[in-house]
Amino acid sequence: MIPRQDIVQIFATFIQFEFDRFNNWILDPRLRRSMNKCLDETTQSEVSENFWAIYWHKRWQKQPQGIARDHLLAYLQEVCFWSTKKTLTGFTSTQYSIPDGFQIAISRIDKVLKGFDGDRGFKLKSYASITFSNLIREFLRQRQEIDICSEWSLLRKLSQKRLQESLQNAGLSAEVQKKYILAWNCFKNIYVPERSTSTRRLAKPSPEAWNAIADLYNKQRALQVSAPESAISSETMEKWLLICVKAGRSYLYPDVTSINKPKPGYESGEIADSLIGDIEDSLLSEMIIEEEIQERNQQQTQINQILLSALEKLKSDDQKLLELYYGQKLKQEEIARTLDTQQYNISRKLSRTRKSLLKSLSYSIKENLHISLTSDVLKNISVIIEEWLSSHYHTNQQSGAQTSNDYYI
Amino acid sequence: MTIIFNPTQLVIQLPETLQQKTWHKTQNAATPNSRWQTYLNQLTLDAFIPSAKEEQEASVKPWLNSQTLANISELVNGTAIILGDAKVVLIPSEAEDLEELRLPQEWIDIPEWVADYYLAVQVNVDAGFLRIWGYTTHQQVKKQGTYDPIDRTYTLDDTDLITDLNAFWVARELCPEEETQTAVSPIPAISSTQANNLISRLGSTEILVPRLAIPFTLWSALLQNEAWRNSLVEKRRGIERVSVLNWLQEEATNLAAQFGWRQVEFQPSIVGARGDMATAIPHKALAKQLTIGNQLYELKILPIETNTWRFELHSLALGAMIPTGVTLRLLTEDRQSFTGNEHTAISPVEMLDLEVELDPGEGLIWEIEPTPEDYQAEILRF
Repeated sequence: MIPRQDIVQIFATFIQFEFDRFNNWILDPRLRRSMNKCLDETTQSEVSENFWAIYWHKRWQKQPQGIARDHLLAYLQEVCFWSTKKTLTGFTSTQYSIPDGFQIAISRIDKVLKGFDGDRGFKLKSYASITFSNLIREFLRQRQEIDICSEWSLLRKLSQKRLQESLQNAGLSAEVQKKYILAWNCFKNIYVPERSTSTRRLAKPSPEAWNAIADLYNKQRALQVSAPESAISSETMEKWLLICVKAGRSYLYPDVTSINKPKPGYESGEIADSLIGDIEDSLLSEMIIEEEIQERNQQQTQINQILLSALEKLKSDDQKLLELYYGQKLKQEEIARTLDTQQYNISRKLSRTRKSLLKSLSYSIKENLHISLTSDVLKNISVIIEEWLSSHYHTNQQSGAQTSNDYYI
Repeated sequence: MTIIFNPTQLVIQLPETLQQKTWHKTQNAATPNSRWQTYLNQLTLDAFIPSAKEEQEASVKPWLNSQTLANISELVNGTAIILGDAKVVLIPSEAEDLEELRLPQEWIDIPEWVADYYLAVQVNVDAGFLRIWGYTTHQQVKKQGTYDPIDRTYTLDDTDLITDLNAFWVARELCPEEETQTAVSPIPAISSTQANNLISRLGSTEILVPRLAIPFTLWSALLQNEAWRNSLVEKRRGIERVSVLNWLQEEATNLAAQFGWRQVEFQPSIVGARGDMATAIPHKALAKQLTIGNQLYELKILPIETNTWRFELHSLALGAMIPTGVTLRLLTEDRQSFTGNEHTAISPVEMLDLEVELDPGEGLIWEIEPTPEDYQAEILRF
């Protein structure tokens, strides 16, 4: 992959894959115009890419559907690519290609944007790197599970939100989604596992069960589905639920060919510049002043020192574990094999070690920086630690996720 | 198979023996659906408590005794523990994707049920693990949650939860004073006639999900009275209660036994003292064994005269007294006090007793402070 250098490119181009590999950067003219316009408005000559990332993130928070999201999509392409590559490396099965994983991760960008807090001084890239890796890992795990499930088991393993997203993805109208969700709830109420340790291979419901599910639906339909319709049969019920199964499965295997399709109007530049939207002068100048203040801020060095000394105080075993996990990026299972123990033990040990760091840092923040602790503050400290560990053990990776440790609580 | 977890989550292994043991405990549930719900909740409770004890120093115990919690699982998803001085509700789900936490409204809007923290739990019984993947506070649920009137849940997106479980333990340790709850309005009480009508209607398992069958205000009013809640669960399980007088009949030994009561011989001296009533009333009393602070006690119900009953609490340990502060209390079935309804030990005493006059068919709830370990709120009908 050729890294992007130019600030306009960084916020206006998208990865194009050829088969399994990176091929080229594709420019979106609309985004280029928008970026150029922004650059013209800033008087400062050198503004970092992170500055623009934060700027677009703030714009995104105000207008989640606007152009800001597209700029951020462009910006996070590299991070997403490298997170995918790192996470998939060593994963034995060949069915997970990089474009596949990339697509899954990038389509979840709203989770990154929603979880990111620009005011805390995190780097969007490092936050995205951690979040994308977690998302891909989680997806792989879900696929493993869903792949070995029967249709009827799969239905029990979806959350309502996921089912709804899947149905929406499959292009069904809101009214139909509502009916299917009610049908699915009826199914879950009637068709219940009967053994304590096996729910993956549930057989097809019996005709009696189908009747009971359809009956329940017909009773509840009047209360919940707005347009009154005739009662549905058990055959229809089965058909509906199979559509839910299919939608749930395709959700985990999105169509990869769609990544490179330009959105309408992108390439031709037919969308007028006026649609780019006004640059928010006040937001820009406010951020420039803030950046100067932040540069003088000493918090980051303090945090860095606290964590360094907390790390030194850890037992050598625990330090070794962190090194293996964050430095060499070994999977918990590989570490377990290296250290000849169970994955559960590694997972627990890692968690304990992280907890002790979280405690040290939180305590110091409370005592020295006089910030009162709440669950929300702890959530931020936890992200700082995760980021700090990744960057501390950062060993010559190609990742675009360079961190320079400027954190604020 | 490789199981991949994010390092910030708490993963607890579920040994098969625990699964089997828990499964056996849940066999008396009313419907297959409620059995499965009870199973997942019980499993969550049984696996989480030892793990929480390992994780931190504060005491960890179930919010209510296991039978009372199991009765809740019969009706509502979720179970609760007390961790130090915080109440924590655990919400198990079978969903593999961790997209949302769906919290039944009962845990958010019934004042007595409100907790400080809510934990999202994924249970995978096949792979044998339980994963705590996020948490939130009551305050956050009220602020960020979306209420879904269809299944009466508050839902929170994964991005709204705190996904590092370590943050939870550290919060308990470093900021236990953190404000976690939002005030909720009290739920208007219902009359006992209303409650009994609801119980007989919702007692049928034809109604698969009773919590959604009546308006929430009525439902929550019924549920917040533990004795009514237990009556509803008994009814759904097909267990019928008869009057105490019936329990005293010779052939009713087994009927009373399923509620922990047994027939004992009446003290003839008391009958003698009351004179000619002796022949009119059966020479039997009821007794129930209780544990309070590791000591065994016995609660007795004795028929004194027609429509007059006497409750007696005494220690079963030889020569032991009832310590100062212990209270025996009787309440009407809608939990109202009445004159002479309680007896507190002001100094160590041999026995606490109460005498009440009751109309035939009238119901009473008894309670003791401190609450006996195996206490189950029940309505006794006379």
